[in-house]
Amino acid sequence: MMQQRLSEKSAQRKAGDTLLSVRNLCKHFPIREGILQSTVGHVRAVDGVSFDIRRGETVGLVGESGCGKTTLSQCVAGLTTPTSGEILFDTGRGGPLGQEDRIDAMPRDRYRTYRRNTQMVFQDNFASLNPRELVIDCIGRPLRVYNEASGSELTERVVELLEQVGLGRQHLYRYPHQFSGGQRQRISIARALALDPELIVLDEPTSALDVSVQAQILNLLWDLQKHRHLAYLFVTHDLSVVRHMADRTVTMYLGRVVEQGPTETIFGNAAHPYTKALLAAKPDLDDDPSVPIATLEGVVPDPARPPKGCRFHTRCPVATPDCGWEVDDIVRLLEADETLFQSLQGVARKTDLEAGLTFADETAAAALHAALGSDRVPLAMRTATETLDLNGKTVNIRFRETEEVSLTDRGEGHQAACVLGRGGQ
Amino acid sequence: MAMTDPILSESAAKVRLRRQGEVLRSLMTNPTTALGMIIIILLLGMAIFAPYLMPPNIPDPYQMPRDWGATRMPPGTPGHPLGTTNQGGDVLYGVVWGSRSSLQMSLIVVSVTVVIGVVIGSIAGIVGGWIDEALMRVVDIFLSIPELIFALAVAAILGPSFTNIILSLCIVFWVKYARIMRAQIILIRQSDYVQAARVMGDSRFNIFRRDILPNASTPIAVQATLDMGNIVLVGATLSFIGLSESGIAEWGVLVSEGQAGIASGRWWASTFPGLMIFLWALAFNLVGDGLRDALDPRTEGKR
Ligand SMILES: Nc1ncnc2c1ncn2[C@@H]1O[C@H](COP(=O)(O)OP(=O)(O)O)[C@@H](O)[C@H]1O
Ligand code: SF4
Ligand SMILES: [Mg+2]
Repeated sequence: MMQQRLSEKSAQRKAGDTLLSVRNLCKHFPIREGILQSTVGHVRAVDGVSFDIRRGETVGLVGESGCGKTTLSQCVAGLTTPTSGEILFDTGRGGPLGQEDRIDAMPRDRYRTYRRNTQMVFQDNFASLNPRELVIDCIGRPLRVYNEASGSELTERVVELLEQVGLGRQHLYRYPHQFSGGQRQRISIARALALDPELIVLDEPTSALDVSVQAQILNLLWDLQKHRHLAYLFVTHDLSVVRHMADRTVTMYLGRVVEQGPTETIFGNAAHPYTKALLAAKPDLDDDPSVPIATLEGVVPDPARPPKGCRFHTRCPVATPDCGWEVDDIVRLLEADETLFQSLQGVARKTDLEAGLTFADETAAAALHAALGSDRVPLAMRTATETLDLNGKTVNIRFRETEEVSLTDRGEGHQAACVLGRGGQ
Repeated sequence: MAMTDPILSESAAKVRLRRQGEVLRSLMTNPTTALGMIIIILLLGMAIFAPYLMPPNIPDPYQMPRDWGATRMPPGTPGHPLGTTNQGGDVLYGVVWGSRSSLQMSLIVVSVTVVIGVVIGSIAGIVGGWIDEALMRVVDIFLSIPELIFALAVAAILGPSFTNIILSLCIVFWVKYARIMRAQIILIRQSDYVQAARVMGDSRFNIFRRDILPNASTPIAVQATLDMGNIVLVGATLSFIGLSESGIAEWGVLVSEGQAGIASGRWWASTFPGLMIFLWALAFNLVGDGLRDALDPRTEGKR
């Protein structure tokens, strides 16, 4: 009976059609301070992201910790309401995806279709299972929610699901704490499979597991996908996993997509310096996945105050004068230099590109003035400086205007957001 | 085939039962908890079988019997192994029926306050906003006053009687449950397993019933066990001060009424009931602490 249901469903599934589309998605978290809890700013966890997931494909989502991967997955899974932008899901209405397919504006019955067709597996295999729920209740729960089965039929369906993830009947009446991490993740996967969904969002599904167990879970996910025509949004900070699993790869940096394309293209011919840096830090499949990926210099800037232009310009090894240099870059420079930062008295900002910085004494001002003209700042930044003058205790600076850096086509289905190598250059 | 499969003879109910057995076993492996359990079993046995252990010969068994022919007898007197009071009440009778009074008091107060606390905590945690703010402000105020002082004030306003002591304890003891319940709701609501339930489209009611309630019940059960002891301690103190009725078989009242004789060497009328209050409070506190460890699903089964 299960087999029949499956084949019916896969007949409707046309591989390659867009299943889910994320358009200009933003999710900002207010930062509240003080006793009145007034909003003093926003963490721009996801800040204008667009990409598609097609039926039956795996989209790998990579990026350093804190770049917004989990927030984005939660939006896709319908767990948080985006600040702006939209998520469209094909509920079988027919025709191209449009405003009627927004998950936040669908009629009830179609939202239900989206809801049961998008499932999620979490990183923490312990926290994602209710410690007071037996395996049979846990995996059977989605079936109960949709009145799909009860009694002995439910038991049989759960056994079937357990067997599909490499567990069995003997595990029905156990509690989560009686399993190993890998087994618990198998239970989570079985629960996600119970409703026979079209899309599973996997948020770092193997990151919390031992290396040997990781491979088993990846193989399981791989096999399940081949048998059941699932689409995966596979979130990870481990590039080797993406290379294994993903048909297409999306690289995120500070809430934005900086590059996306077919996985072979990304791994063989990356266009974005950030992707290249990630790959250089971790080029090999057989590397120890527990070694952190980013060996880039500098720290990830505050997502509440992301850099202008290309957000990566503060760390980019090949940055150009057109990458969005701004007054904040000087503020970041000063923050790193304690003595100078302490004598800073004020920043009179005319625009993001022009400001006067006043210090307590003339020596400090002169020191900053000298630093900004020396190789203590990147050449690209110096080149982007249009005015730099010292006026007593004040340093006046102005940077050149630059354009926004957005995703541009780099080949078949390949896009990158970088001023280098874009159209004709 | 199905019938011979040993796994199929398994059922959810059996597994849950076995788990309770495991919790109990792990409770008993801790010596202080085991001691507490034994004391509790003895005390409860005493309370439940009081009518057989000490058959009353007056219509209201909660009144101390009076035998004006046998007042102020020391322990060891035939027929009065623990001696008698100034009014000729048998101290053993008071000890036994006093355990029944204590059990009544603590059971009523714990059940009422757990329900009130869980309901108020749930409203605060689920509704949120200004209702939450207001309720939690009340809870903070309640918690800033020591339980004993607060109960004393309420009982004093209500007037001296055993029922009013129970009433005042109910007014005082619900706050901790409200606080625990609200904190648990906020904590569990953000847990991955609730996220998972939301992803599968389960209703808020089911999430409350299947995720929040079972997981919040652990700290509530621990607090309830501790309170079984604390309530008797506070209740007996109120009786001692004179906020209960005179002449009833209640430990605090017995201590209070017997203390006048201590100066003249008649220590037994208040010492034995006092010892019972101490044992009762100690035993429930020992078990409450043991439960806290045993019920943690992350550690249980690993020992
Ligand atoms: N609920 C929240 N409230 C405030 N800030 C949040 C919240 N969730 C995530 N963030 C912030 O958003 C950014 C992205 O977080 P996250 O999506 O978890 O990144 P990742 O999964 O890539 O590590 C981080 O700076 C994080 O601190
Ligand atoms: S636009 Fe390209 S070159 Fe410029 S900073 Fe960004 S990644 Fe580096
Ligand atoms: Mg994450």
